Amino acid sequence: MAEILFSSWGGEVVDNRQKDGQDFEPVNTVDLPEYFRQDEAVKALMGWYGIVIRDPETDIVDLSRVYIQEVQNKSCGKCFLCRIGTRVMAETLTRICNGQGKSEDLEILKRLADSIRESSKCNIGQSGPLPILDALEHFAADFEAAISAQKSVAAGTYHSKLTAPCMDACPIHLDIPNYVECIKEGRFAESLDIIREKLPLPGVVGRVCVRPCEEHCRRMNLDAPISIKFLKRFVADYELSKGKEPEFAIEPSEKTGKVAIVGAGPSGATCAFHLAKMGHDVTVYERFDEPGGMSAMGIPDYRLPRPILREEVDRIERMGATFNYETTVGKDIKLSQLEADNDAVFIAIGAQMGTTMGVEGEEENYAGYISGVQYLLDINQGRDPYPEGKKVAVIGGGNVAIDCVRCSFRVGKDDVNLIYRRTKNEMPADDVEIHDAEEEKVNFHYLTHPVKILAENGKVVGLRCVKMELGEPDESGRRRPQPIEGSEFVIECDIVVPAIGQTMDLSLLEGREDVKTTRWKTIVVDEVTKQSDQPKIFSGGDCETGPGALITACAGGRTAAFNIDKLINGEPLDYTEDDYFDKFFSKVKVFDPAEDIGFLGGRERKELEMLDPDTRKFTNAEVEQGFSINDAMAEADRCLRCYRVATVRV
Amino acid sequence: MVTLTIDGKEVTVPQGTTILEAARSVDIRIPTLCYHDRLNPIGSCRMCVVEIEGYTHPMAACTTPVDDGIEVVTKSDRLTRIRQDSLKLILVNHPLDCPVCDKGGECLLQDLTYEFGIDQVEYKAAKVERESQYATPLIRYWPDRCIMCLRCVTACQEIKGIGAISIQGDGYGAQVVAVDAEKCQSCGECLQVCPTGALTEDLSRYKGRTWLVDRVPTTCTYCGCGCQLELNVQNDRVIAVTTREGVGVNHGSLCVKGRFGYEFINSDERLTKPLIKKNGKFEEASWDEALDLVASKFSAIKEEHGPGALAGLTSARCTNEENYLFQKFMRAAVGTNNVDHCARL
Ligand SMILES: Cc1cc2nc3c(=O)[nH]c(=O)nc-3n(C[C@H](O)[C@H](O)[C@H](O)COP(=O)(O)OP(=O)(O)OC[C@H]3O[C@@H](n4cnc5c(N)ncnc54)[C@H](O)[C@@H]3O)c2cc1C
Ligand code: SF4
Ligand code: FES
Repeated sequence: MAEILFSSWGGEVVDNRQKDGQDFEPVNTVDLPEYFRQDEAVKALMGWYGIVIRDPETDIVDLSRVYIQEVQNKSCGKCFLCRIGTRVMAETLTRICNGQGKSEDLEILKRLADSIRESSKCNIGQSGPLPILDALEHFAADFEAAISAQKSVAAGTYHSKLTAPCMDACPIHLDIPNYVECIKEGRFAESLDIIREKLPLPGVVGRVCVRPCEEHCRRMNLDAPISIKFLKRFVADYELSKGKEPEFAIEPSEKTGKVAIVGAGPSGATCAFHLAKMGHDVTVYERFDEPGGMSAMGIPDYRLPRPILREEVDRIERMGATFNYETTVGKDIKLSQLEADNDAVFIAIGAQMGTTMGVEGEEENYAGYISGVQYLLDINQGRDPYPEGKKVAVIGGGNVAIDCVRCSFRVGKDDVNLIYRRTKNEMPADDVEIHDAEEEKVNFHYLTHPVKILAENGKVVGLRCVKMELGEPDESGRRRPQPIEGSEFVIECDIVVPAIGQTMDLSLLEGREDVKTTRWKTIVVDEVTKQSDQPKIFSGGDCETGPGALITACAGGRTAAFNIDKLINGEPLDYTEDDYFDKFFSKVKVFDPAEDIGFLGGRERKELEMLDPDTRKFTNAEVEQGFSINDAMAEADRCLRCYRVATVRV
Repeated sequence: MVTLTIDGKEVTVPQGTTILEAARSVDIRIPTLCYHDRLNPIGSCRMCVVEIEGYTHPMAACTTPVDDGIEVVTKSDRLTRIRQDSLKLILVNHPLDCPVCDKGGECLLQDLTYEFGIDQVEYKAAKVERESQYATPLIRYWPDRCIMCLRCVTACQEIKGIGAISIQGDGYGAQVVAVDAEKCQSCGECLQVCPTGALTEDLSRYKGRTWLVDRVPTTCTYCGCGCQLELNVQNDRVIAVTTREGVGVNHGSLCVKGRFGYEFINSDERLTKPLIKKNGKFEEASWDEALDLVASKFSAIKEEHGPGALAGLTSARCTNEENYLFQKFMRAAVGTNNVDHCARL
């Protein structure tokens, strides 16, 4: 990393301006990327957390002007100090940059910056003036010189962006503070509109999202994160309860075309939604007789009732997209055919095959040995996967494994075991899910690893396991489990369900070496545009990333839609400024878990009511009951509205 | 219950109480501008900021719930500076046209500007140009006077559940506009909660300074709800209708008729004396003459056709007492049960 001349990022001042290169002190609070885009070196950054300057030529006065002007542009106008105060600051700095500064200006700037920062309603005003205060303190001479010279300052080139920790963490970048604020103010329909601008599945995602946003919610530093996911569910449910049909304005692109989408999972559905909104002629090919992919076939009904998903996809159909069910691409219709008939093809076939454990007996096709995805698929289609069996052993520590065990009760299995080779602490499944499974009385066998499937007459009768202990940390930072010699034992069971991962079924690409795949069987596309080496073929979702999360799959579908639109319109598939900022913020972290916010916290997060664990486990009824209006508004009121602005000098 | 101290005074209040409410319960005054008793806290003015011992950031008393053991400080140099700056920034745009403003004399901004001794504003920014159209012709919107406290927007949403007005635009250019003018019912809830003269009624040709009018409390006569209101009277003329928060069943709310339908009182076309038709033309008569005529005609009809030939219909604009007397009159004096009331139709 090229050396940093000055930094006040995160409140830690490193001033190398008077030093020789080799004596430069390092900056630990921020990792400033060298380039914004290929041909644009990052010279300086001014943002919510301070100033970072790399290039000595950076004009701090001009940088301050552009930055505070951006803060003013993005101020929501809902509190006096930020709305008017940042305007006064912006006009004052503009005047100084135009060579018309006055001696009293600096004092006014400082006083205003203090008042705005200390009393604004939300973080845009609370953080906005902070780097200006840093600039006035550490670069006073530059400001004084600009005022006394009475000459205009040369204007530089900048990129600015408004973000928030939650918004940045959300793969599809939902405008979370905005939709949460609408709920607080009782404007539920508007809130839903904001979500739907990007995401057509709010009821689905509002139930089962893995919520990276909540892990980056700044309110966590005070007490507990905002219940972002369930607020999303609340507005979706509210609309449904009112029987309202949303209106989606179709705004046709200049040029519209024909697009085929393979797979009606979250990724394919989201792509179809955005393409239909842009007026394109979309046909979705799906091998099953219903949409939703893993959210329908994998995720059990007690977490995500099927009608919710159905209704949200039906709306996409009503927007004009065609869904061809029970059509497998590669078998019923060739990929090359789709390519020939369409302007573009989006492949979103997910990761639908279970992976094997590499355990003795797995290849024998014993009755009672069923892969996790198949097990859930059967149950979700209303079948008991193996009615003869009653004692289940599920292997794995992720959400899929938890779904398998919890589903088992619901098809009448009474002895349900989960086998995981590390401890509860390392388990990748959502804590809430683990807790719910515990409540439903799943037998957890931690630090246990299967070694052999035992069978009699071709039927599973048990699973031989070995006890494990945790050794040294591996690449992922988790301690590597090692078998304890002589600790083998047998878990009696007649069903063995490996749920340790999924992989892609790429048979539709057979004979298509021109579409590259990785050794993990993911399809190779440009990480931003989702375009493969074949310009007409795009791919996103689990088959691009490997088994992941719903919201990531939706995000992939959305970006693919915009890039397919560009392709049809003959525009280059260039990265947008937002795409470059995504990369920028992967280095300059928007969320600081160690930030001391300085507010009084202690406001309890509202939790959902749940069905009773002793009875719910025998039914498919939805376990979590949504927020009441009052609870939703109270929960939304906890949001700190952490909008913040960054300006990059290039 | 939660116990805290405010300016050194111990206060015990239920959990969930805001610092502002807690302070008011022990008569400690924290200045407020956007806060309104009938609305959820808005938090736009920041006049109510307080300091809490041990926390670096001042917080708005109106939106912050109390916590056990906190020590709240409501007055300090820093808080005064913030409050003054908040007012000064408002005055960057808000004209000091108090001498010609309907609200002069009972304007919260005027009072606070006076209280905080703002005699000059060193902050400068170009004036913001805002649209002056409003949702209804009965209300006049003075864009320059609007401080965007958002009481009106909140009241329209929360009290009336309508949401006809909202904030539009970002930053300095943000403004209150009628986003859904068709939904507006001209109830004037927005007008009622406006702390300044940004929303004034646009009806009465007669104006009067707030301190010169008599406010006569009365009951609205438009329907049976019994809303309480005050007729603003000057020189025996009703020049406006106002309400008081927390009074009567309506707590300060009115409908379009109650708030704006008062011009008939001083209308030249209004009947003030009884008229009797003579030779095909209405002629003024005395009350005695008129009542005698009605009594004799009623008696004649009753004589000839029996009491069942008469029926009485009263108006929802009469009071309960009047309606009671009327049915008594019909039953006991006239002798018929043919009596009804327009609100039943
Ligand atoms: C049991 C389970 C639980 C999960 N729980 C969660 C959770 O709680 N939260 C979360 O965020 N994520 C969860 N996930 C992950 C999430 O479901 C996936 O990340 C997401 O569904 C991926 O979407 P996708 O559109 O890329 O693929 P998929 O959902 O897999 O959809 C692919 C679709 O393509 C169809 N298809 C495949 N091949 C063809 C073909 N050749 N021709 C036509 N159609 C084809 C499939 O039938 C399927 O409908 C879970 C996954 C599983 C398995
Ligand atoms: S408090 Fe609100 S704005 Fe801040 S990170 Fe959490 S959800 Fe986002
Ligand atoms: S009264 Fe609290 S912010 Fe206005």
